[in-house]
Amino acid sequence: MFTPLDPLLHSELRLAVMSLLISADDAEFPFIKEQTGATAGNLSVQIDKLSAVGYIEVEKTFKGKRPCTICRITPVGRQAFETYIDALKSYLQI
Amino acid sequence: MEKEKNMTAEHSLEIIRDSIEQSQRTITKNIGIPLIWWGACVVVFSLLIAYLWKNHGGPAWNLLWFALWVVGCLGEKFLRNKQTPVPSNFVGRTVSHIWGTFGIFCGFIGGIFGLIGGGLIPLELVTPQVYVFGIITSIISLCFGMGATIMGFVLRNIIIKACGIIAGIGGFFCALHFLGAEQLFVMAAVAVTGLIVPGIVIYLQYKK
Repeated sequence: MFTPLDPLLHSELRLAVMSLLISADDAEFPFIKEQTGATAGNLSVQIDKLSAVGYIEVEKTFKGKRPCTICRITPVGRQAFETYIDALKSYLQI
Repeated sequence: MEKEKNMTAEHSLEIIRDSIEQSQRTITKNIGIPLIWWGACVVVFSLLIAYLWKNHGGPAWNLLWFALWVVGCLGEKFLRNKQTPVPSNFVGRTVSHIWGTFGIFCGFIGGIFGLIGGGLIPLELVTPQVYVFGIITSIISLCFGMGATIMGFVLRNIIIKACGIIAGIGGFFCALHFLGAEQLFVMAAVAVTGLIVPGIVIYLQYKK
């Protein structure tokens, strides 16, 4: 019996964002954009989706005079990511 | 980029692995740049102070070490502003704590001896003169070496571990053989071995 995969994480960009955030304390928007190679618009949309379900929290602040968006994974997101990995393992029979 | 319908489990794992590896590489690579910068600062200041000490006065030029902190911090801030902001992770935080601890201890001890060199604090207040310059450079070399060696263990890099051991132990004993301005050449060599070489190794190893 396969465990269903979380549809919110089962997307290339959202999964890449979550993978980046799982291994860092937090990350600024330009870093995530550079690492994922996504466009700013698409990335914003996906970040909003992850934020809406509470997987990540988004902090909008300023660095000097420039706006700065910082993303960090939440305990809910970490749990969801672990569950997703476990589900993947069941598909791959690891 | 909504390709979830076609994504296989293997592909998902690949995305996870690649994303984590790539971000780790970027974060770790960025640890190397401040090391190179601070190492270069120490080398330049060591050689400059040694020259001024020998040719234009005396140990009072050691007060210039205070300028190292100002130049170092400003330069590091400038370098960070030029880069894409990189997040911190466990490795980055640990390395930063290692060198932060080094900075606190060596900055304080070095600062005291700098003030002695500049004649602002009487030498007798701290220690008999015969030990002063031998001890300070040896201690700082040892701290450099320990910092670099621990960093080598954290990054699991044998070259950095070796550099740390050579800088620490080599610098400790070399510094005992020299007095006065000549010790600063030992300090420069220790900075090259303990900071610049590890910085370059990290930068090149984790460069894309």
